[in-house]
Amino acid sequence: MGGGRRTTRVPLSERVLEANDEIAAGTRAELDRRGIFSVDLIGAPGSGKTALLEATLRAVRGRRRPAVLVGDLATRRDGDRLARWCDQVVQISTGQGCHLEANEVRDALGQIDLDGVDLLFIENVGNLICPVGFDLGQAAKVGLFSLTEGDDKAAKHPYLVQAADLLLLNKIDLRPYLSFDRAGFEADVRLLNPAVPVLDVSATTGEGLDAWIAWLDR
Amino acid sequence: MLLVHEFSIAEALAAQVQRHAPAAGRVAEVEISVGALRGLEPGALQMCWEAVTHGTPIAGSILRVDLRPWSIACSSCGRTWTSPVPFVACACGDAAPVPTAGDELELVALTVDEEEA
Repeated sequence: MGGGRRTTRVPLSERVLEANDEIAAGTRAELDRRGIFSVDLIGAPGSGKTALLEATLRAVRGRRRPAVLVGDLATRRDGDRLARWCDQVVQISTGQGCHLEANEVRDALGQIDLDGVDLLFIENVGNLICPVGFDLGQAAKVGLFSLTEGDDKAAKHPYLVQAADLLLLNKIDLRPYLSFDRAGFEADVRLLNPAVPVLDVSATTGEGLDAWIAWLDR
Repeated sequence: MLLVHEFSIAEALAAQVQRHAPAAGRVAEVEISVGALRGLEPGALQMCWEAVTHGTPIAGSILRVDLRPWSIACSSCGRTWTSPVPFVACACGDAAPVPTAGDELELVALTVDEEEA
């Protein structure tokens, strides 16, 4: 009988992205087992992610065995550029998705002969916010900023700065032409992440790339 | 772009809530806790929540977002406080107190209405 209503509060305490994180953990275990070092490269549109990878692939050619997964909203242009320097490139078209998720990376890895790989680059969708919160199973997150974006971008994207294992500051060759406050940029980074290394690079001239390659090789 | 970010999180959350929803009863409220590092906009999240739950058994449920603030610690005067934004000056004059925040994104609880037999 009765017919009244009962309201119950059910405490749960569960991570919202648990399903994504579980897939990422599987990918991480597989890449570790195979001894593949993997980088999730996160940067704004136009920061030079693809240019940096082109220069990097050129620099490690014949010495490392790289593969690249490249996320893009609609086109295959980035993948086509990178395929000139690397045999194993898989383009992931995310459609409306502003970031890569762990299942997309897992599925794309299925198209790669991982036996022939010791270095994996995942070029995320151009975006400084959304990609940071989605674990892909990478060994390291690398944040890419560039001089043309302005010196306030670290302060405006604290999650990336805090989560990054390495920060790259690209287009350093344009320094004479821009009023970029390099010391101020560094101070913002240090407040958010005292330990993260910051490397000045130019994907165009090759300046600073040695330090980046050495970081990948370590 | 921001909206799309909130959209995928709302989608993941909706799937998670539907797994927990009781067969007999209605989910009235969903409580989540979000660390400041996530950079989520509660308003955008609410909008996405309405969109992704539309036409599902959890449609009409209220999403309550507990947005955890930044903790600010001043090394000059030792004062600590919370702030919605990371870069703030201290009252003592120190221009750069240290901001810290979490990146938690947690389904904290559901409130369920059930008809009593």
